[in-house]
Amino acid sequence: MAEDKKYTKIQELTYELKVGNVMTKKVVTVSPKKTIYKLRNILHTKRISGTPVVDKGKLVGIISTEDFMKCLAKGETNIPVEERMTKKVETLYADEPLVHAVRKFDQYGFGRFPVIERGKGKLVGIITKGDIIKGLLKKLEIDYHKEEIHRYRASHIFEDIVADRTTLTFHYNVVGEDFNRAGESASGLKRTLFRLGIQPDSVRRAAIAAYEAEMNIVVFTEGGKLTVSVETHRIKIEASDSGPGIPDIEQAMQPGFSTAPERIRELGFGAGMGLLNIKNCADKMNLTSKVGKGTHLEAIIYLNQR
Amino acid sequence: MTLNEVKEILEAEVIIGSDKLKMEVKIGCAADSMSDILAFAKPGALLLTGLTNPQVVYTSEISDIKAICFVRGKKPDEKVIKLAKSKNLPMLMTHLPMFESCGRLYANGLIGIGYLDIEKKNG
Amino acid sequence: MITLKEIIQKLNLEVMSASGDFDREIRGGYVSDLLSDVIANSKEGNIWITLQTHPNIVAVATLKELAGIIIVNKRKPEDETLKKAEEENIPVMVTELSAFEIVGGLYELGIGRATENAKEV
Repeated sequence: MAEDKKYTKIQELTYELKVGNVMTKKVVTVSPKKTIYKLRNILHTKRISGTPVVDKGKLVGIISTEDFMKCLAKGETNIPVEERMTKKVETLYADEPLVHAVRKFDQYGFGRFPVIERGKGKLVGIITKGDIIKGLLKKLEIDYHKEEIHRYRASHIFEDIVADRTTLTFHYNVVGEDFNRAGESASGLKRTLFRLGIQPDSVRRAAIAAYEAEMNIVVFTEGGKLTVSVETHRIKIEASDSGPGIPDIEQAMQPGFSTAPERIRELGFGAGMGLLNIKNCADKMNLTSKVGKGTHLEAIIYLNQR
Repeated sequence: MTLNEVKEILEAEVIIGSDKLKMEVKIGCAADSMSDILAFAKPGALLLTGLTNPQVVYTSEISDIKAICFVRGKKPDEKVIKLAKSKNLPMLMTHLPMFESCGRLYANGLIGIGYLDIEKKNG
Repeated sequence: MITLKEIIQKLNLEVMSASGDFDREIRGGYVSDLLSDVIANSKEGNIWITLQTHPNIVAVATLKELAGIIIVNKRKPEDETLKKAEEENIPVMVTELSAFEIVGGLYELGIGRATENAKEV
């Protein structure tokens, strides 16, 4: 589970970061008129395996060690670079999200892509797979640091309490059919959990589960209670009502299954995803119901302990 | 893409958050179903919706949606605007239908959430 | 002019209900999950993008003479929906993409750029 979340985080970052954020800005370039012989010195002294060919700031081609070797094999050391370079260059824009670069590397299998300014064709950098990895690691480190600061600024409440076991419990009354206030409890819970310094991802999952549970009470019952208890290792969300009950829980869990009337659907709810959403957010979920008596839902989210 | 660019592209009106137009939105998300937003939206997304009830604001808060743009000329009432203000959530409104809004933003480089899942599946 | 068949091919849609006119011209698109909104504002020949899966969507598509329905976010239509779709000759497709992206793709194919769609409120 934790592994999975990390993966998503990196994927998110590939959307957040731009090519321009991670690229190497100082690019070794060669002019189109330079001879293959001179190119050799550049490749050799800079220890690079290819270089963009630039004419008056504008990218006109790219030449790699491979191209260079071919020339060498044919003895063409005195002809200018422009005659042997690749002219149709695959490039990236500095303002593109990193994920585009990742895709391009996969697609073409090249070692590098020149980065140009959108609209002007001006070369502004170069990007390799190594740049992407370095950029991601740096960003992860910064985010992790921010998260740490946030955690400590939030509250020390659990550390400050001296007890063998501490449970904080929050109660919310949910009024049935009150669509002005529906969502308020989950919203309040979210802010509260943040203040407690709980990890953003866990806060989000708990808030989504609580919100869906709250909406179920509002939509289907005359009202109920939302009780959330927080311990250092887990968040437990309980939703209970004395409403009509669910005749077939298995059926109710099916995606798309809904008994919500059209007027509820028009509000954007009742599409038959609520219980599934709760299940997906929780590490553990338990649902019991008696027709005519009421429904009790319990969802648990475990917190990573550090 | 900044909120200001969104505003320009969609010929939108700012309901609240004129001081936040420099804010970046990473991802576009179009839905009228709250559960789908909760299930799929990624933090930092711009939500395009035709719904204007208070639950849109609560759903956005809970899903870490960064800004909302109402489509088809729908404008939320004062109560909802006040609620969004209290949560620091910028809101725009465009006269364009949802289809045109998504199309224009996508054509201007805003990406969607589906990519994430597909990328994940393809490794 | 672009047909439903071309859209299915270009956007890699999975066809769930194949009865209907796949050579029909697609005239604009409409995105909404609210049936009343689709009833009020969609136009004949539109392709409808939604995440709703229940049988009522077929009734709406029939009523408004829509060219077909694309269900997004990996959702699968209910059996009853497909049964109705076959009866009513409404093509139903599914995609793993979100509404935002599939509309982006349709828009890039030139669908919905016509002003007739941009004007409605």
